[in-house]
Amino acid sequence: MVKESSVKETEAADTPRIGVFVCECGVNIGGVVNCRAVADYASTLPNVATSVVNKYACSDAGQSEIKQAIKDHDLNRVLVASCTPKTHEPIFRACVEEGGLNPYLFEFVNIREHCSWIHMQDKENATKKASELVRMGVSRAQLLEPLQSTVVPVTNKALVIGAGVAGMQAALDIADMGYKVYLVEKNPSIGGKMAQLDKTFPTNDCSICILGPKMVEVSRNRNIQLMTYSEVEEVEGYVGNFRARVRHKSRFVDVTTCTGCGSCVQKCPIEVPDFEFNEGIGTRKAIYVPFPQAVPLRAVVDRSVCIDCGACIKACQSHSIKMEQEETFSDLEVGVIVVTTGYDIYDPEPANDFGYGIYDNVITGMELERLLNASGPTMGKLVRPSDVKPPKRVGFIQCVGSRDKKRNRYCSGFCCMYALKDAQLIKEKYPDSEVYIMYMDIRAPFRNYEEFYDRARDMGIKFIRGKPGKVSEDRDNSVIVRVEDTLTNNIYNLELDLLVLSVGAVASESSERVRQLLKVSRAADGFMMEAHPKLKPVDTTLDGIFIGGVTQGPKDIPYSVSQGSACAARATRYLAQGKATTEGITVEVDEDICVGCGICVPMCPFQALSLADGKLAIIKALCKGCGTCAVACPTGALQQSHFKNQQLFAQVRSVFTFEGE
Amino acid sequence: MVGIGDKLLGYATNPDVRNRGASGGLVTAVLAAALEKGMVEGVVVLKRIDEYEAIPVITDDVQEVLASGGSMHAVPVNLTKHAVGRKIAMPGKPCDVRGVIEQAKRNGVDLENTYIVGLNCGGSMHPVVTREMLIRMYEIDPEDVVGEEIEKGKLIFKTKDGEEKAISIDELEEAGYGRRENCRYCTIKIPTNADLACGNWGVIGELAGSATFCEVMNEKGKRLLDNAIEAGFIEVQPADEKSIAIRNKVNSAMLKLGDEWKGRLLTEIHDQERLTYYIEQFADCIDCGACREVCPVCTCGEDSKCTMFHSLADNYKMSMYHMVRLLHLSDSCIGCGQCSDICPVDIPVTTIFRRFADPAQKKRDYSPGMDLQRPPFLELMLK
Amino acid sequence: MAGTEWEPKIVAFCCNWCSYGGADTAGMGRFQQPSSLRIIRVMCSGRIDPMHVFNAFLEGADAVLVTGCHLGDCHYVNGNYKAQVRYQFLEEMVRELGLEPERLQLNWISASEGEKFANFIRDVTAQIKQLGPSPLKPEGVN
Repeated sequence: MVKESSVKETEAADTPRIGVFVCECGVNIGGVVNCRAVADYASTLPNVATSVVNKYACSDAGQSEIKQAIKDHDLNRVLVASCTPKTHEPIFRACVEEGGLNPYLFEFVNIREHCSWIHMQDKENATKKASELVRMGVSRAQLLEPLQSTVVPVTNKALVIGAGVAGMQAALDIADMGYKVYLVEKNPSIGGKMAQLDKTFPTNDCSICILGPKMVEVSRNRNIQLMTYSEVEEVEGYVGNFRARVRHKSRFVDVTTCTGCGSCVQKCPIEVPDFEFNEGIGTRKAIYVPFPQAVPLRAVVDRSVCIDCGACIKACQSHSIKMEQEETFSDLEVGVIVVTTGYDIYDPEPANDFGYGIYDNVITGMELERLLNASGPTMGKLVRPSDVKPPKRVGFIQCVGSRDKKRNRYCSGFCCMYALKDAQLIKEKYPDSEVYIMYMDIRAPFRNYEEFYDRARDMGIKFIRGKPGKVSEDRDNSVIVRVEDTLTNNIYNLELDLLVLSVGAVASESSERVRQLLKVSRAADGFMMEAHPKLKPVDTTLDGIFIGGVTQGPKDIPYSVSQGSACAARATRYLAQGKATTEGITVEVDEDICVGCGICVPMCPFQALSLADGKLAIIKALCKGCGTCAVACPTGALQQSHFKNQQLFAQVRSVFTFEGE
Repeated sequence: MVGIGDKLLGYATNPDVRNRGASGGLVTAVLAAALEKGMVEGVVVLKRIDEYEAIPVITDDVQEVLASGGSMHAVPVNLTKHAVGRKIAMPGKPCDVRGVIEQAKRNGVDLENTYIVGLNCGGSMHPVVTREMLIRMYEIDPEDVVGEEIEKGKLIFKTKDGEEKAISIDELEEAGYGRRENCRYCTIKIPTNADLACGNWGVIGELAGSATFCEVMNEKGKRLLDNAIEAGFIEVQPADEKSIAIRNKVNSAMLKLGDEWKGRLLTEIHDQERLTYYIEQFADCIDCGACREVCPVCTCGEDSKCTMFHSLADNYKMSMYHMVRLLHLSDSCIGCGQCSDICPVDIPVTTIFRRFADPAQKKRDYSPGMDLQRPPFLELMLK
Repeated sequence: MAGTEWEPKIVAFCCNWCSYGGADTAGMGRFQQPSSLRIIRVMCSGRIDPMHVFNAFLEGADAVLVTGCHLGDCHYVNGNYKAQVRYQFLEEMVRELGLEPERLQLNWISASEGEKFANFIRDVTAQIKQLGPSPLKPEGVN
């Protein structure tokens, strides 16, 4: 790379001196297009100082020729006619920059994909078209202007929203790289959905036993400032310079003195179903500690059910209960934001899928997790809800709420595996029980997953390939499932004591709220959308904002953890550099022409435009250079650099020539 | 205290103002009161030069406002651009009001600081056409005319020697005179988009000719009226059922007639001939830019995308200038007719605009200049 | 040029991320096409200004194509939706002008849809050959 000072300052007013380089790309172009003729034609065009043929323009030799020609012919514009800018524009931009020109004074003409490869049988017309394409490029090149990308400073702190396993991983990684992290969690404890699970596939480790230490690690990390029971209310700014307002909901408990001993909980007379942690199966008090391994291990008061009897206040030896506590706010300044807000479990109740909500003994997979968990409401004893007796025959229906055109089209990915796991756990605990899994396809990729499936079959779990048509209830509250095994065409009427619906993931309301705050785009499935499905899986289209875990779409624990780390790595690039370079192609406004009508402002999907004192203000760091606002502008004051109106007019005009009467 | 939605009959308390006004001088008095009590810094009035010419000026002199009453059907000027950037009150035909609202959408006008007293409008006449009509149809020397009024579908001119001559508007229009073409098919006759909607439709019995029907459209309208009553400039009474019914009847009759005219004036041109028609119509354009200058919904300054083509379009078969204007303003065209009026080479710019704007606005159920909350559909905000 | 068949000039506005990539993919797949097409690359279909579309007609284009990413796939959140709003009016305007509607077409083409791109160009070219040169083409220009 050449140092900035040696880059020649090219003013738009300079008379253009264009160098045209026609690449043969071996025979890829040269075999069809007469490149010599194209180069000769180009040399007759206005302001073309030199026009030559290269064997391979992108090779070292080809690039050296270009750089040499810039010196020899005092070129201030370079046009390469070769392949596609999608792959080669960065290479040639770097090449002309090394040659001493601003990289945006380079014009690319595609005569391979758009010419030689699609007119292989028509060499004459291919050559004619290539000449015309070069003519279009030359007229555009004359009007190219040097552009500078702007550099903005980066506040070296990160905000992680959501402290499930993905968010915890992201926060730990960023913190371990030496940067301050604010970790905001809306619930009273961190841990997310993973804390609710009993065991984890495919190893059947106890979920909280592997998650607990990580939660403690988060709370002890000096670089992480944990903000539980808190929600992000407002975010403004741009990469490197975000300002976020966080609301700390009142717990009515002083977290600095509470020890989580639970004396208050014992004295509290109010008992309500525990929807927060136990899926409504068990109960909790009006004052409660979310779960035994909660971090922070502190009580919280649910004032919506509290009767203000004061029993807890009397019971608390550390005088931590503060019924007068009010919510507070923090204003944070951060350079990057990681969004790991997770998901909701699909709720089969509104549609009464497979009798859920009508029949007592139809439950969801997450309810089963709590029933199987040793610290759950039944101390790990599996019972059916109608009569609290252990079920002998248990069935699972897969793909509930997923892979269903009327519900959600996508596959939630993890339901097959958790059903296999839960089925095994039931078999292990109650070897004489019968377990059925009714499925469409079992999806078990990745290490030891298929083996895990095999193990389930070996244990005698029965698999029926088919989606049940009808679920009804027997007199003793048993559930009758009518299902056709599509492999054997047998129709079964299974009588089950317990029916488990393997429900999938859906985008959560709280995620959606955060998405709207941050203006991250939303994919068709409702989850947040990544910048590129393959190459930028945790980036968003907004610089400095990253998404990880199920926020981006359903995924299992290892994948979520990987994404948490990925977010940390992507985000820390900005923190480590201390600066962010923004897009060179942005919009610019000619203040003399702008009348401040504001029609452009709502056009910008990135909030880069605003009106201040009747004039347009552009935050360059937010502009991604799409140019849609420039179209809306009626005066032409707003222009997209590199794609200015005059540049496009010139290009279009030179498509055509006067051929005479 | 009046309420929003009230329908009232009112008149100026000052007898001079009441007599000079076309129907009781209420509008003049409300505007004058707003200025008198400091609600606004100025009032837009038409400074009369003769029967065919008047210049809109902004005055801060209450007496000048009070002296400005009376309608001028042959001065089809649009007042929109006089509201730009000022704290004023103004009278306005429906198209004036629509222009102001379109300006407000583009930050040209601050509606909070602009009070508009809307006037019912059945249409206005082009001064040149009016002069010709006077000679040919009325056989009156245009210079002898001292006043005009419309009564019972007839257009009446008074001459300086005290004579009156009335001809029915239908007859005049059949002969190619009368109202401007765009007025004949205009779809807004009662300015419900203004702060107050005033006019003589529905004023009957002994009040006919000496009172104004006035509907309070919004909070600003209420403020205007309360202020004028408190200042003692006007008196009002509730309009009775009969008045309201007659006002509605006149309005719907006018709208129905407008629809008929639309069919007659915007006749379909055959597919194969349309392009030639447009090419020929625009062929005379001398790129003077006057139509853009007078357009009440355009907010552009000296430079704009359309004017980029004033020098470029040498070998084009069609005017790029007009194409760009159509692209930018078809959604917002209110059909006020200013562009046709001003065109030095007589291109029917408004008619052409309506041919594009009418179906497009209809398809999107969008009526420009009526609701500040609805952005131009070409610039709509996406969810 | 006597004896050779008239080849229309078709101007296509392509967005950098999808439809331009679709044209690339068509090339990589060697899907042969008529040599009528001239691509103007912009970053986003939201940058396709109806003014430029008309200008292309008045410069001599026999057809103009507006292309971009599939709805929902825009790299700039929703540029193609804005393009669609503008296109719909443009289409109405072309009809009212009396220009044959085939001369203005919209297509959403992803970067992977090379064959679709090529078929689209073949189809449009065939339609335009039927129609002949655009009535808006300046005299003597091609």
